[in-house]
Amino acid sequence: MNEVKRKGPIPAWMIWANPIVRRYCRSRLRPAGFGVMLLLTILVSGFFFFVVREASSRPGLSVSDVARMPLIPLLVIQGIILFGLGTGQAAAGITTEADEGVIDYQRLAPMTPLAKVLGFLIGLPIREWLLFFATLPFTIYSVWKGGVPVTGILQLYTVFVMAAILYHLTGLLAGSVMKNRRWAFLTSTGMVLLLYTIIPQASKFGLVYLKYVTITPVFNEVYPYLIARPFGEAASLYQEIIPPARFFGLNLPQYIFTLISQGVLSFAMITMLWRRWRKADCHLLGKVGATGLFGWLQVMLLGNALPLIVSGDLFPSRGLRQKFGRFLPQKESWAPESWEASVMVGLYGVVTLACLWWLTFVISAEDQGQVRGWRRARKFGNSKLPVLSDAATSVPWTLTMAVMGAVGWFIFANALMESHWYPELSLLVVTPVAMFLVLASGGLGLSALLESVGRKVTGLIAIFVGVLPLMLGVIFAVSSRELITPAVWLGGICPLTWPVYGSGVFLWQEGMPRDVARALPNAYWFWQGVAVLTVIWLLTKLREARKAISERSKEL
Amino acid sequence: MSEAAIEIKDLRVDYGNFVAVQDISLSIPYGEVFGLVGPNGAGKTSTFKVLTTLMEPTYGEVSVAGFDIFESAEEARRIMAYMPDLAPVPADLKLWEFLDFYADTHRLGGRRVRRERVDECLRIVNLFEKREAWCKELSRGQTQRLVLAKTLLHRPKVLVLDEPASGLDPLSRREMRIALQALAKEGATVLVSSHILSELAEMCSSLCVMNQGRLLASGTADEVRRELGRAERQLSVVTFGDPEALVSWLRERPGVTDLKVDGLRVGFQFTGEDVDQEGLLLGLVNAGLKVRSFEEESSSFEDILVRVAEGNREV
Repeated sequence: MNEVKRKGPIPAWMIWANPIVRRYCRSRLRPAGFGVMLLLTILVSGFFFFVVREASSRPGLSVSDVARMPLIPLLVIQGIILFGLGTGQAAAGITTEADEGVIDYQRLAPMTPLAKVLGFLIGLPIREWLLFFATLPFTIYSVWKGGVPVTGILQLYTVFVMAAILYHLTGLLAGSVMKNRRWAFLTSTGMVLLLYTIIPQASKFGLVYLKYVTITPVFNEVYPYLIARPFGEAASLYQEIIPPARFFGLNLPQYIFTLISQGVLSFAMITMLWRRWRKADCHLLGKVGATGLFGWLQVMLLGNALPLIVSGDLFPSRGLRQKFGRFLPQKESWAPESWEASVMVGLYGVVTLACLWWLTFVISAEDQGQVRGWRRARKFGNSKLPVLSDAATSVPWTLTMAVMGAVGWFIFANALMESHWYPELSLLVVTPVAMFLVLASGGLGLSALLESVGRKVTGLIAIFVGVLPLMLGVIFAVSSRELITPAVWLGGICPLTWPVYGSGVFLWQEGMPRDVARALPNAYWFWQGVAVLTVIWLLTKLREARKAISERSKEL
Repeated sequence: MSEAAIEIKDLRVDYGNFVAVQDISLSIPYGEVFGLVGPNGAGKTSTFKVLTTLMEPTYGEVSVAGFDIFESAEEARRIMAYMPDLAPVPADLKLWEFLDFYADTHRLGGRRVRRERVDECLRIVNLFEKREAWCKELSRGQTQRLVLAKTLLHRPKVLVLDEPASGLDPLSRREMRIALQALAKEGATVLVSSHILSELAEMCSSLCVMNQGRLLASGTADEVRRELGRAERQLSVVTFGDPEALVSWLRERPGVTDLKVDGLRVGFQFTGEDVDQEGLLLGLVNAGLKVRSFEEESSSFEDILVRVAEGNREV
């Protein structure tokens, strides 16, 4: 048989020689489709470039001041292209491959899993990358004529590219998990939209880390150079009061810390995709990896928040005062309100619980996976499932994450309450236990449900226990003042409200509306008690269910 | 080099409570065109998916040309090619681009070398004239041929083809058969599945029959036919005496059913082992029924498969 001369598999770093990148260069850069988009992009960018320049020309502004003005509109256009369209394309493209069935060919291609991940990462949004590059001449001209410091603009665009890679990876991940290409596109672009609308608000309430998954910190730093000098000088004053990138005892430049934060998240996502390309039916993360990622997120949340407590920069009212101080009633000295700590602690708990749910979802095996795991284990003469296998129970790992989350949450709450801002307040001894119960009951409940009844039934339960009562509670609360008490009780059924209720009960001492203050502790303790008992019952049932699955796996 | 091109040991595939493949073992030597036949849902595609590293089995050992596919998946993929059932093609590529992409993944060489190989494969499947057409413009049969060209690109040592002939016209089937047999002569091993046994019998040097996740029989086409057609067989007796007397006598015998008289010829279904058949013939002669001939008509492959699907007999 004639042998064909073949070289070894393509090294992952040789992006230009990656067959998947070349394949998408062919299909996505055809003159007809790409040409129109390129023309449109240049026209739109050029239009904004000239319109903003000409509209900004006025007495008092130098030529270089005017030249700077198009930089921000251009950045917005570049963001729409690369963050929005690029992320959507990454998600929809991978779903299309799966939908058409050709993804199996790619699985069989003799390339390393990493080369495949990088191939899709660069290849699918290749058109958007080139459209982005097509807008750069306008930016470069504005930077050159506007005398913008090159270091600052390089920092901004380095972070911009890193963020685009992170979002595209998220898109790929969404595309790998979802079956419908339209939903994959909408979900991933929606996520990017959330990152720049909702998430920054959360970062103002103690979750400083969240802003580092966007380009906002570096943009804020460079912002004065992106506008005309007279406005830039005013902006510089505001810039000086922006909290620095602090990580425990370290003071890091904003762009370095942003790059580290986004780099680690990108690494985690590449690991997930790598696992999927290696074995199509394995979990996105292993049990140790998921627990490690959870720990990392806790360290990042704490590392950014704790150093800002003493200076007061962590508190939302401080930020508000610094930004809009001249419009607010003047006080002799600023001090945070007690509700601020409560809200921040509650939000920290909500985000921790959400992370715990996500990772528990990732590492929990459904009935089918367990049956296969058992049969495989028995074939190899094992009487137990290997602890780290996908089929093994996620309960101990969820418990570990709940402990880690409770420790992180308590450290955050304790640092706030023990700070000099609240000399008269301190945490109750029972607080860390309550925090653990909130996270453990939420996490273990999900774990037990997923492993015993599967994802579909768990989804239904989540709607009836998590979403519906909360919606009803909100409707009650806004419809009449007299319905506040039932609203509090209804909302308390939803596990996502437990951290908020808990922080209200343990931390918010004054100023709470009387009927809420009366209902909140009762609702919190009642539903927490119900949750703990339910979870104990679910874990007992899970033990029986896993035993039944193990027995059933012997039958066939 | 290992002795067998494909070695499967105790392979099992589960989908929840459904057992798709149940502890099968197979050994296929080099240079063989091996057919896997069975009704829909027999477990053929699951077996192929495991073999081609697309799916992880519940358990089992699988090696291709000596490479353990779980330990050395990438090496196995380099020497293997897979053509799935209802083979899909991407909508956004032209024929030559589609093939060039996979030639590139196999690193067959520079642009010129790849182009030559792509053209060669397109000629093999009679699609060269359409090299600039879009994949989405092809008919079902042309798509099958294009994907067959893709599987031939890197001259794989092992080809795994799942229902490759479905959608092909008789001429294309014949060409495919010739191409596969030529590949086998060059040393490649071809594993091909179909639910049409006669189709496989024409092209395969050996085959096995699968049903409900189990292997029922394997060997050459004749061996399989004999093995599966053993218990039930179609017999016919030609007498130069009275056919009614023959029918009356046969009707009383155990295992004889479905009697049909056609002149002096009496055909019937007989259920029993070889020794029972021998006893029946002896009985006919001893009864003085003037037997001119006694014949066993071979079961058609389709009959066998229908019986297999209905009866799920285990060998």
